Amino acid sequence: MSNIKRGVSLYSLQDQYARKKMTLDEIVDFVKNSMGGTGIEIIPDQMLPGSPCPSAETLAEWDRIIEKHQIVPVCSGTYVNDKLYKNRLLTVREAAANLEKGIHLAHRLGCSMIKLVSTTRTEVVEAVLPEAEKCKITITSEIHGGMSFNMPYVQDYVRLMERLQSPYLGFTIDTGIFCRRHPRVSTRYFRLLGMSNPYLESYIEDLFAQGTDPNAYFIAHPEKMGEMMEKCTTELERLYLVYSTGYDNNPLTILDDYMPYVKYIHGKFWEMTEEGKEYSIPYDEVISYLKGKGFDGYINTEYEGNRFTPPGEMIQEIEQVSRHQKMLKQLIEG
Amino acid sequence: MFDYYVLSEGTVKNETGADGTVKGFSMKTRINYYRGIPLSMIHDLEVALDGEKVARDAVKFTVDGVDYFTPDELETVTSMRWEFGEEATVFVEKEGGLPAGTHEVTLFQTIRTEYIPVPFIGERTERVTI
Repeated sequence: MSNIKRGVSLYSLQDQYARKKMTLDEIVDFVKNSMGGTGIEIIPDQMLPGSPCPSAETLAEWDRIIEKHQIVPVCSGTYVNDKLYKNRLLTVREAAANLEKGIHLAHRLGCSMIKLVSTTRTEVVEAVLPEAEKCKITITSEIHGGMSFNMPYVQDYVRLMERLQSPYLGFTIDTGIFCRRHPRVSTRYFRLLGMSNPYLESYIEDLFAQGTDPNAYFIAHPEKMGEMMEKCTTELERLYLVYSTGYDNNPLTILDDYMPYVKYIHGKFWEMTEEGKEYSIPYDEVISYLKGKGFDGYINTEYEGNRFTPPGEMIQEIEQVSRHQKMLKQLIEG
Repeated sequence: MFDYYVLSEGTVKNETGADGTVKGFSMKTRINYYRGIPLSMIHDLEVALDGEKVARDAVKFTVDGVDYFTPDELETVTSMRWEFGEEATVFVEKEGGLPAGTHEVTLFQTIRTEYIPVPFIGERTERVTI
């Protein structure tokens, strides 16, 4: 038994929402009553129209849902929209003003945390930190496959945390940085769209088998990325190759130095197999590591296999999320 | 990213104006992304009819059926949002609309957003018989 808490990022059920098969209320009900999750993450831009300033009605409905299901709004997935204009990036002050709105919304929603993409400029984070502290909102940068500790902007963020020493700065860790195999649902998807390049497929799979991943390998050998791009004969193959750099193959121990800053875990997955295991990510190792470190925050399921569902096929998110939650429950309580 | 959202199935149809003549054709589209954005972050919209791109200025986008914008005009629209899952309309000005017969209509939707280095494009083709 451990004190790790379990929930679901509502992103996992986005297609049910987009196609109006389930309302926000029904999705939260599913998390709480069918999955036994105690927390949720919401991306306000996804499910609260008018964000970052939703209407009073939308907010009242949110309050009603949270109250009804007695669920913890763990985190608000927040974006700066710094490419608002085609001809320039927002200035630091403009971006900070946007982010402050996101912090105020998270506070209004009852969240204790926001999650930013790790490319968010540290100047922007530093500018809004006093407001976040005032609102008691922890700002986390999401360590995600392809955008992880080996990126200069993440190291900038580490230095920012070290310099400011604020309890309101930290990391969200996406478990997609612990892939031992390339997600085969991606390969299947690209094949169904017409990709036919067994060499490319096995090249990527081999990198994982050798203990590395396309992202790390191409950073270490920049010329190889160009070579592989040359070997791609269609736009689809190039896209497949680019996507393959979004799955990292790190040992769990990469977190050793960073655990004091880890506030929250995204339980990323693409495919839960019939046997109840994630095809790429060794969840037994992940949970065992977190237990060993005494982690007592949330791990929220984040299903990303939805994007690899070919047009015309039903997205199996209810079944897939159910299997993932069952696995997490067993590992956490076991 | 989610190409299946780019063109809603069975929504391509001719549009008749108040004077009873067919002014063009339209289709429904959801955002090819996982969250809503201000309209200015729609980097581009293109329509192809039977494999031929239609004129840029003939393409008009609306989320509410009231305000219509060409792809170039969308660049400055920061006050309106396209919500996730919301079906917006793409109208293509074309006198007489789609002629009788079977046609392939393709919509290309390009979104510009933080952390994704280059704007990403989604496309979807629908076959329609008039």
